[in-house]
Amino acid sequence: MIDLPVLKDAETPAPRERFWRSPVDLEGGLGDLHSGEFMPGASDRPGSASRRDFLRIMGASMAMAGLSACRRPVEQVLPYTRQPEEIVPGEPLYYATGMPYRGVLRPLLVKSHEGRPTKIEGNPEHPMSLGATGGFEQASILNMYDPDRSQRVLREGVGSEWREFVRLVQGLDGATRIAVVSPPTSSPTIRSLRGRLAERFPEMQWITYAPEGDDPSRTGLRTTEGRTVRPLYRFSNAEVVVSLDSDFLGPTEINLLSNTAEYAQNRRMASPEDSPGRLYVVESNYSLTGGMADHRKRLRSGDIPAFARALASQLGIGGLPGERATEDAFLHAMARDVQAAGSRAVVVAGDTQPPEVHALAAAINQALGAVGSTVSYLDVDDEAEFSQIERFAALAADMHAGEIDLLLLLGVNPVYSAPPELDFAGGMERVARTVHLGLHLDETGQAAEWHIPQAHYLEAWGDGRAYDGTLSVVQPLIAPLYEAAKSDVEVLGLLVTGMDTPGYDLVREEWSAYLPDDAEQAWRRALHDGFLPDSSYPETTPVLEAPSFSADSLGEEEIEVVIRLDPTVLDGSYANNAWMMELPDPTTKIVWDNVALIAPAMAERLGVSPKYDKGRYVVDVLEITVDGRSVRLPAWIQPGLPDRSVHLTMGYGRNISTVRPPRKARFFDLDHYSDIYADGPLANGVGENVSLLRRADMRRVLSGAEVKTTGDTWTISTTQEHGYMEGRPLFRKATLSEFREHPTFAPDAVPPLYGQEEWEDYPALWQKQHPSEQPAITENPYYENQWGMVIDLNTCTGCNACVVACNSENNVQMVGKEEVGLGREMHWLRIDRYFVSGEEDTDNPAMVVQPVPCMHCENAPCEAVCPVAATVHSPDGTNQMIYNRCIGTRYCSNNCPYKVRRFSFFNWTKTLPETVQMAQNPNVTVRFRGVMEKCSYCIQRIRGAQQTARLADRALQDGEVKTACQQACGMQSITFGDLNNPDSAVAQARKNPRRYEMLAELSVKPRTSYLARVTNPNPELEPQG
Amino acid sequence: MGHSTSHTTEAPLVTGNLSFHELTELVARHAEKKPPMIWYVAIGISSLMLLNLLVMIAYQVWNGVGVWGNNVPVGWGWPIVDFVFWVGIGHAGTLISAILFLFRQRWRTSINRAAEAMTIFAVICALLFPTIHVGRIWVIYWTLPIPNQMDMWPQFKSPLLWDVFAVSSYFIVSLIFWYVGLIPDLATLRDRARSFIRQRVLGIFSMGWTGSNRHWRNYEKAYLLLAGLATPLVLSVHSVVSFDFAVSIVPGWHTTIFPPYFVAGAIFSGFAMVVTLMVIARKVYGIEDLITLNHLEKMNIIILLTGSMVGFAYITELFIAWYSQVGYEQYAFINRVTGPYAWAYWIMMSCNLIAPQVFWFKRLRRNVPLMFIISILVNIGMWFERFVITVISLHRDYLPSSWGYFTPTWVDVMTFVGSFGLFLTLFLLFLRFVPMVALAEVKGVVPQADPHFYDRESS
Repeated sequence: MIDLPVLKDAETPAPRERFWRSPVDLEGGLGDLHSGEFMPGASDRPGSASRRDFLRIMGASMAMAGLSACRRPVEQVLPYTRQPEEIVPGEPLYYATGMPYRGVLRPLLVKSHEGRPTKIEGNPEHPMSLGATGGFEQASILNMYDPDRSQRVLREGVGSEWREFVRLVQGLDGATRIAVVSPPTSSPTIRSLRGRLAERFPEMQWITYAPEGDDPSRTGLRTTEGRTVRPLYRFSNAEVVVSLDSDFLGPTEINLLSNTAEYAQNRRMASPEDSPGRLYVVESNYSLTGGMADHRKRLRSGDIPAFARALASQLGIGGLPGERATEDAFLHAMARDVQAAGSRAVVVAGDTQPPEVHALAAAINQALGAVGSTVSYLDVDDEAEFSQIERFAALAADMHAGEIDLLLLLGVNPVYSAPPELDFAGGMERVARTVHLGLHLDETGQAAEWHIPQAHYLEAWGDGRAYDGTLSVVQPLIAPLYEAAKSDVEVLGLLVTGMDTPGYDLVREEWSAYLPDDAEQAWRRALHDGFLPDSSYPETTPVLEAPSFSADSLGEEEIEVVIRLDPTVLDGSYANNAWMMELPDPTTKIVWDNVALIAPAMAERLGVSPKYDKGRYVVDVLEITVDGRSVRLPAWIQPGLPDRSVHLTMGYGRNISTVRPPRKARFFDLDHYSDIYADGPLANGVGENVSLLRRADMRRVLSGAEVKTTGDTWTISTTQEHGYMEGRPLFRKATLSEFREHPTFAPDAVPPLYGQEEWEDYPALWQKQHPSEQPAITENPYYENQWGMVIDLNTCTGCNACVVACNSENNVQMVGKEEVGLGREMHWLRIDRYFVSGEEDTDNPAMVVQPVPCMHCENAPCEAVCPVAATVHSPDGTNQMIYNRCIGTRYCSNNCPYKVRRFSFFNWTKTLPETVQMAQNPNVTVRFRGVMEKCSYCIQRIRGAQQTARLADRALQDGEVKTACQQACGMQSITFGDLNNPDSAVAQARKNPRRYEMLAELSVKPRTSYLARVTNPNPELEPQG
Repeated sequence: MGHSTSHTTEAPLVTGNLSFHELTELVARHAEKKPPMIWYVAIGISSLMLLNLLVMIAYQVWNGVGVWGNNVPVGWGWPIVDFVFWVGIGHAGTLISAILFLFRQRWRTSINRAAEAMTIFAVICALLFPTIHVGRIWVIYWTLPIPNQMDMWPQFKSPLLWDVFAVSSYFIVSLIFWYVGLIPDLATLRDRARSFIRQRVLGIFSMGWTGSNRHWRNYEKAYLLLAGLATPLVLSVHSVVSFDFAVSIVPGWHTTIFPPYFVAGAIFSGFAMVVTLMVIARKVYGIEDLITLNHLEKMNIIILLTGSMVGFAYITELFIAWYSQVGYEQYAFINRVTGPYAWAYWIMMSCNLIAPQVFWFKRLRRNVPLMFIISILVNIGMWFERFVITVISLHRDYLPSSWGYFTPTWVDVMTFVGSFGLFLTLFLLFLRFVPMVALAEVKGVVPQADPHFYDRESS
């Protein structure tokens, strides 16, 4: 018998009338006996537990067993007392929301597991997404789970409280000279709050600050009425597209999704009869759009305005200053082509080009009659805002002059990104009250008096407009991870009303203006759908101001520096995001660094050459000087760049402060090494901040730069060390005329093997006994579906969205620069990038990209060599990796001709910060060290869809299963589905004459195949590559 | 032989005109007396190296395979190179004892004991590497066909599984073969033992050997049968090891020449290791009369032969790569010869093909310091051969996009050094406790073993 004092106490009855047997008893003389007739345990059978004990112990052990089975505190595993509506444990829910991105809203559908957002998809209903996303949307979820997010309100670097801040704001009077610096935003709520703020504080200044500089399209496309218009390109209608330094298919593009969807229609080819458009790209960088070009011309960004003028004059738009006759064959041929296409041509100007070029491009489009056909102009319902940068510079001057009382920085980081001339940090010191709202205690947060942690967009209410103006509500998926976090709307609301109003109320109030009569239902509808239908900006035929060119042009010998948003970390807001840090740059494949891209000719003149050293590149460090200010960056030689043009990307060289303690490991333990989060924020100490070079006008192109070598070297890690195909037909391409002549050029490409024997003449060994023909396979219900994938290389730009989507969906771990350099990156899906050129023009090659997931070979070489059968074929034809069975011999990886298998050399997941653990997909195993892993065709999605179909007692529909990469792809380059269904999209795609299997000559029978690229070069010009 | 006065009398296999007793003394006393100082020094160093091996293994198991230089595409690095290296070394012993026995090469008797011991210790080292090189060592037993609750068998199509069987059966048979050969000598030691414990222990291990006619008859038969059993294993084990490579589809691995080429290479390296060890041991233990220059010369001839065979194989590989007209294959070999690892290829070529050619000259192949140097070179070359095959083939295969580079880490190096510690420690213990020359067998080949020897002497 167990005597637990607790139990005893519980059994002691309250004092009441007593019954007694004898006086001795009454006085307690019988001692303990009075509580029972027998001694404790005397009634129990000797040596065994009583029924009571049994129950007691069992109860206790069951409770304990329950405890020991969970890794988290017990309160987290309690079942719902009252189950929330619609939540079925294990069944994810999807909510529509949107991500603010460079002044527009990207419409999203976010997956939530038991209230925890885990995966971001595009909103398929929304015209500006059609279900696709860019890489930044995919990665933004990790920004929310960033372990280095600021968690407390700080004042002078010391912990404070939100209510202290509220008190401060309440004490402000109307005469306070407030300045608000906000990132570009499309939020109507913020817009109206801004109006109300101006009412309360008449001296309020509002500056829209984009770290990349003014949007030249916005400032260039100015109507004579002083309104702003926004171009929306309809590439699907275009026969000829001309890009003037515009990376309109690149990952940082504001309107990436609509552009890619439109452009894909232009390029998709089911048969030789289809006629694709033709793309001319004139650019300084080697962009992904340049990689897609049929003709690409490299020109310094500073030379492109002159080129644009020459083009305009060829097209008969005269009267431009600085016009000169040119003998450029490329220009003439292109101009003739554009002229011939007429209204089916379109000219697109890029961000690096001054507003005049944007205006000129618009003028050309208007002259061609392209407006309404290949481009529409949207009236963005906004006063034309002239250069925000000028206003920003004025603000900095005001700050220095002490003319600002309160500076509110709404999620911007000008101390990091503003031009050093403005000395923004110095100005902040002269402002009485500086308030910074930010996800991190970043450079600006550290300089500000007040820092308020910002709520991530998945945590707070907001709203905004997509590129075409369609209104959406930003609906939170989760309460802020840190209680103190506030959204921009809430902070502004506080300033406007002096009251701490929840963001929901502010947004809801604003939205009552947009909703029809039955407001609540319409609101719910808008939340559910993720957008308000028919709320896009009206199309307009604008009368634009004539472009006025300044005469400045770049000298022949002058070196220009071009600064652009980084394709992986953007302006630095994704710098602390491991997925983005380790995402290879789409062109250079460099991870964890920013570099100075230079042309081979320039490298030769400077005497720099990268040395291949043990799988990494040791490169020379250059010193780049503009106006006496310099940064030191490693030189990377990029073929295809124009001479005397240096390309830098923003977003590196960050300094974020965190409260997370650094990891300490014992001397024999490599946890510190293998943990990318070990030394505090992972953005810190990576690369250099190039904004130090910028001039106060924040132009992206800086002329008159000086470049010299420093004698130092730097080691660069890349995910692809070798960029030439060695004559192997891996990526296959042909020109349109070749394709029409020989439609099966791709499958007929000659592998580097002797003779052209028909494989059919030599049946594979044991074909009759092939495992896929065995009853264990054929009688399995999964056998009905045979999965396959087709990737269209005609439309794939290599934008990386699929790679990030795959990382997010499949819990792919990041390993850090060192380990990537050693060749241990874990990406399941990689994008191979090759340069193609003739013998002579190796410094100006064409660039092609090829996504490589697992091929799911029917004769998988990996399966045969595993000694423990840890990688096997499923009845539905996928090659599966059984993590639990894997002992890690790595033989499968050696034997994989595509090298798509990844091995956990260290225990990457052991050291994951708790918040990052929350970002893991619960439907995918989080892998331990020592096991192999690889693309699974998102088998969890296949099984999920099959379950849903089975529960509904219906057949699986085509398109019901989408792999993560396929879903993210804006081009819809990836087709996935059931090969057994003759009507499925993938079965149709496999009939495409362009289809080929990479390394088919090895007889591995890959299930993933490619559609070769068909370029459409102008017969008047030499085709490139 | 009888009273033959033929001019073709073979040179005696054992010199010094030693009587049976002198022979016994010469060999057995080393297992009995206090070892020389140098032995203590040697075992001190080797056990430090062994300790280092244990630390390296612990470090690797604790932290993961990432402590080595392996990556993708080079999934197999030093551990597999070391494995094949040690398996190769483990070839000479059983070859000497079994195949040379079957071929009646009686000169083998002086060296077979040590060579077999070396084999066993080398195979122990070899077995170590595939065991520790896996990602999850705690489930390594899944490679063995053990009935289990998961109802899972190993995957019999995998060459790695064949390896498990081939190497472990080779180890078991070699061990038994060695032990059977030891029995008469252990009995000799037992008879000479003075202390009670020594008598008992040796008594148990010598299995009641009395040297009776029946014992000898059974012994000889068993030895012959084991030799017959071991012979195919000698050829099979390295053929199977070569299947690890040949069965794959990696250019540079997928080659039908591999089994014979690996076997030749293994014999080559094994003999080189025997020469290395014997040159030292015969000097230190003063057994030059037993392991004579003639023995060493014969081994050098085998080194020359097998070295030329592997050299021929190297050149054949290049020819076949060209002749096949398979682009991937051609590139793999061009890359070997001229790529970023060309230095490794040329070390291999010069050590394995060129260096042994000095043995064409009788004077040079009887030159002890030279043969010591050559034997070391051969072992270096053979290690590099495995490096060339494993790493160079893997680092550049089909898709140029995945090409990479492999660099060993200090853990790779120290683990390999540690494996020498394991090997040398075991070998030194062998020298200390077991007769290092097969006494009973040597006694059968000395001139005194001729029943008419003393007649001849007196006449």
